[in-house]
Amino acid sequence: MPKIISCYTYRFRNMALLSLILLFSGSMMAEENVVAVVHYGTPVTTPISRIRLSSIFSMRLTTWSDGSAIKVFVLPDDNPLNSSFCKQILKLFPHQLRYAWDRLVYSGTGQAPVILSSTQEMENKIANTPGAIGYLPKEKKDDNVAILLVE
Amino acid sequence: MTMLLFSLWNSPTVTLRRNHPSNCEQWNCPPARKVHVCNFISQVLASKIVLIFCISLSTPINCKAIELFDSVQIHGFASQAMFLSSGNGMFTDNKSNPNFEFTELGINGSWYATPNLRLSMQVLSRRAGRWDNGSPVIDFGLMDYSFNLDSTYRVGIRAGRVRQPYGLYNDTRDVAFTRPSILLPQSIYLEGARDLTISGDGLILYGESTKPWGNLTLELFGGYPRTESINNQFQAVFGYSGVLESNPSFVGRFNYETYNGRLRFALTGAYTTATASKSVPSPNGLVTFAPMIFSAQYTTEKWTLTSEYDFDFFKGENLGLPGFPINPDFNYFGQKYYFQAAYRFNPQWELMARYDAMYPNSHDQSGYQASIKSKGVSPDYSHYAKTMTVGLRWDITSTMMIRAEYNYINGTAWLPVQGVPTGVFGISDNNQTSKYWDLFGLQVSIRF
Repeated sequence: MPKIISCYTYRFRNMALLSLILLFSGSMMAEENVVAVVHYGTPVTTPISRIRLSSIFSMRLTTWSDGSAIKVFVLPDDNPLNSSFCKQILKLFPHQLRYAWDRLVYSGTGQAPVILSSTQEMENKIANTPGAIGYLPKEKKDDNVAILLVE
Repeated sequence: MTMLLFSLWNSPTVTLRRNHPSNCEQWNCPPARKVHVCNFISQVLASKIVLIFCISLSTPINCKAIELFDSVQIHGFASQAMFLSSGNGMFTDNKSNPNFEFTELGINGSWYATPNLRLSMQVLSRRAGRWDNGSPVIDFGLMDYSFNLDSTYRVGIRAGRVRQPYGLYNDTRDVAFTRPSILLPQSIYLEGARDLTISGDGLILYGESTKPWGNLTLELFGGYPRTESINNQFQAVFGYSGVLESNPSFVGRFNYETYNGRLRFALTGAYTTATASKSVPSPNGLVTFAPMIFSAQYTTEKWTLTSEYDFDFFKGENLGLPGFPINPDFNYFGQKYYFQAAYRFNPQWELMARYDAMYPNSHDQSGYQASIKSKGVSPDYSHYAKTMTVGLRWDITSTMMIRAEYNYINGTAWLPVQGVPTGVFGISDNNQTSKYWDLFGLQVSIRF
């Protein structure tokens, strides 16, 4: 009898350990590797709502709360970080954003974001352009830009 | 900026770089890209399919818009199509295969003068057979003043030559990248009615609200639609010479999309009238077109399902001449729709299938009555069209795309008048067209 009990206990322990590992790896997978960043001194409070951030990157919302212009910077469509930012942070597909920008640009109803070629260029632009917003890899510890968390 | 656009346009053989040696250096972009963009503009204007290929291959993979300085952007596009047809010529009544009659070139500039005031202009050169000969026209040229009431509401006004808010695809209908196929679904985006629906001279008032439950946009247009290329075809359409002039017309579009943009619905209503002044003494003709369009689109990462349904009132009065044997006046309630599925099995590849049906007079779907009334001048099959399309699109880079498509068509209701052979008195002779026909198309397109 005691043998059987210990066997069950052992199994239970194993399952608990397994589920802990699963939970941990699950949360690892869900964790974002990209973060929204703005120029220091931009009139926006963190955290920002996802809807507002989407409006900014869809180029629908074009001014900050003080009336100054929002300057949106992005990486190329096929850059993995662009894809991560769209899917993880904005919860949109990259092709949806591209279609939204094309509609604005080729119908005279708006402008597209400025496309930069590297994260280094992104960092420089955000650090040096008032009103700028973009995104950077999360692990990048950079004091030149302000991180914008999403609700 | 306007001057710059025109100078680009009017000097196809002189590149910006040669013209203004210092110009590229003033642009806020690294040298390699500048050279490509300069070459690109000058050579695209030469409008040859081979050139489009060569230049695209030499452009960097992530070619960007030109930023002259802060808050100014310049974008452009170029497309060349090739058609093979088993029956009716596409954009040409010369049935020789293949034909290269369809070319689209455009360049636009946009400038934020202040954070709330934007100026935009696009010049378009479109070649589509005999009457659209590619001469550059101002496609839109407008002033847009908008402001955010708070982060969720925006209102604004656009004035000048503005794009009419019409269905899902009209806003960018000349940009191949934004279309689902080489030819838009003709039931809703009829080539023959392109002028009247594309852009107009007038005003648009708009408002937008973004909330957790979705985005609502309302746009109202009032102004004069354009008739330039219809007037080039006037003789072929009406059988006598004259001029079609638009009257004040109205278009409204109400658009709803879910917060994540997966689901989109639009409702468009329009009321457009145009007066046909004849060159001979006779009362003026009047054409009235009032469509109501329901649009729906569902998007996932791989699928885009789209459908649009149009119910319209289309009336022509006093269009004949005294002594004409046939009265060309009509009074139609039309019914037009399509179902379309696009599948992106890879971010660069897309398969598309569509069924498109067009009955200009829903009370006479077989065209029998219209054929009798015309005394055989227009056969029954010229009063409807049913089209099945399959297509494949390959986005080679984000700035270059190539696509192929096959259409099987029963009827000629949407066949552009350029494709109808001319009979007596210069009038299009629909009896010389084929009822069943296959149309294969290939298209190369670039943009920046």
